[in-house]
Amino acid sequence: MYLQETLAKSPRWEAWMELIELFTGLFLLVFLQFHMLAVATIILGPAAFNRDALMLDEYYLSYIGIPLVILAIIVHGLVALRKAPWRYKEMAIFIQHSRRLAHLDTWAWFVQIITGMAVLILAAIHIWNTLSTWPIEAAKSAFRIQSGSFSNLFLLLLIAEIHAMVGLYRILVKWSWIHRQKFTKWLVYATIGFVALGFIALVVFYFLDVKGLT
Amino acid sequence: MSRFLNFSIFRYNPATPEIPPRMQDFQLDETPNMSLFIALNRLREEQDPSLMFDFVCRAAVCGSCAMLINGRPGLACKTLTQDLPDKITLMPLPVFKLVGDLSVDTGVWFRGLNENLEAWIHTDKPFDPQGLEDRMDNPTAHAIYDAERCIECGSCIAACATANMRADFIGAAGLNRVARFLIDPRDERQPYQVFEVVGTDEGVFGCIGLMACDDICPMEIPLQQQLALVRRKMALASLKGK
Repeated sequence: MYLQETLAKSPRWEAWMELIELFTGLFLLVFLQFHMLAVATIILGPAAFNRDALMLDEYYLSYIGIPLVILAIIVHGLVALRKAPWRYKEMAIFIQHSRRLAHLDTWAWFVQIITGMAVLILAAIHIWNTLSTWPIEAAKSAFRIQSGSFSNLFLLLLIAEIHAMVGLYRILVKWSWIHRQKFTKWLVYATIGFVALGFIALVVFYFLDVKGLT
Repeated sequence: MSRFLNFSIFRYNPATPEIPPRMQDFQLDETPNMSLFIALNRLREEQDPSLMFDFVCRAAVCGSCAMLINGRPGLACKTLTQDLPDKITLMPLPVFKLVGDLSVDTGVWFRGLNENLEAWIHTDKPFDPQGLEDRMDNPTAHAIYDAERCIECGSCIAACATANMRADFIGAAGLNRVARFLIDPRDERQPYQVFEVVGTDEGVFGCIGLMACDDICPMEIPLQQQLALVRRKMALASLKGK
């Protein structure tokens, strides 16, 4: 028995942190894919995009959703990073171990940590840009994308989708009773599908006639 | 047509600490159906009698010959050289205490694990040596048998990033052992009673789901499902309390 460990012991919190990580992750995954579908309405035309943006505004979904998403990103980031190998020795052990083992799933954790941190930075820029020109309108989005945000947003799209889908893979591995070989393929297809959809939306924005809209 | 195999083998003897750890090269001609067990024995008999490694059963039953074979944990007796490239690197398992060269002490680690988990049937029922055994349905018996096939070779522990970084993690072998007692109707312990040991970051919530254990287990125990079972039961216990 060790005094400090016994006094600090609250094992239920260790379980709850795992559940918080799980549910904030799932919430962000659903949000991201919904967000991709919503911005993809630009493919149908600026009128469809503006109607959807207005609907989110009218029903106050933006005003509830955006603070919730920001909170979820912060909580998920803090909780998920608690297990990352921050000490130099741990990091060296992890990298050497991954190289020796040459095992895709083990490297996937490294990918999760790197993409997760990249999302924190890129999503902060994206949210800031969107909020500072509130409300969301096709013309404003198109102007932003045509004046230099295209590559940033494509990077965010790619990294966020990879992070989300690898995350979903790991949720299914950790919690479900289905063998991972059965769902890996579908998750890869879904990732390609969402990235392609987002890319098409970005390209449509890039070639949208901003002057004609305003 | 026989090949020449180039072995690069980790050498260190804790009894002679003045000689630092190093990789030593050996050459050996390949014979048909040669396993690493045969190769290592020939190296010891023909080239270097001081080479240390463990073997008992030679048939993937005892679990003592696990080592890193080209970086991946596996049983040397079950690994044929024909399935490996010309260059074969052999290292001892990480996480376990080194006895010397390729030999590690998995016994002390597993004994500690089993004492920590109290890996035996807990029951208040008095034992009747004359009585008939309690009946058990076939699916339950199969599920217990599946978990029970673990030979404690330590491969899953050596393959686990968490176990490599954090010495107090019970690993797939430990969680599989927990699963075995959670599904056994003879064990009267409820999930909340093992929660303090298993429902923590040293237990199932330390697992980050990298599944190297599941991929390399020489006995092919379905560790993904065993770990998920324990995780679900522990998460439920954390919400329900008792």
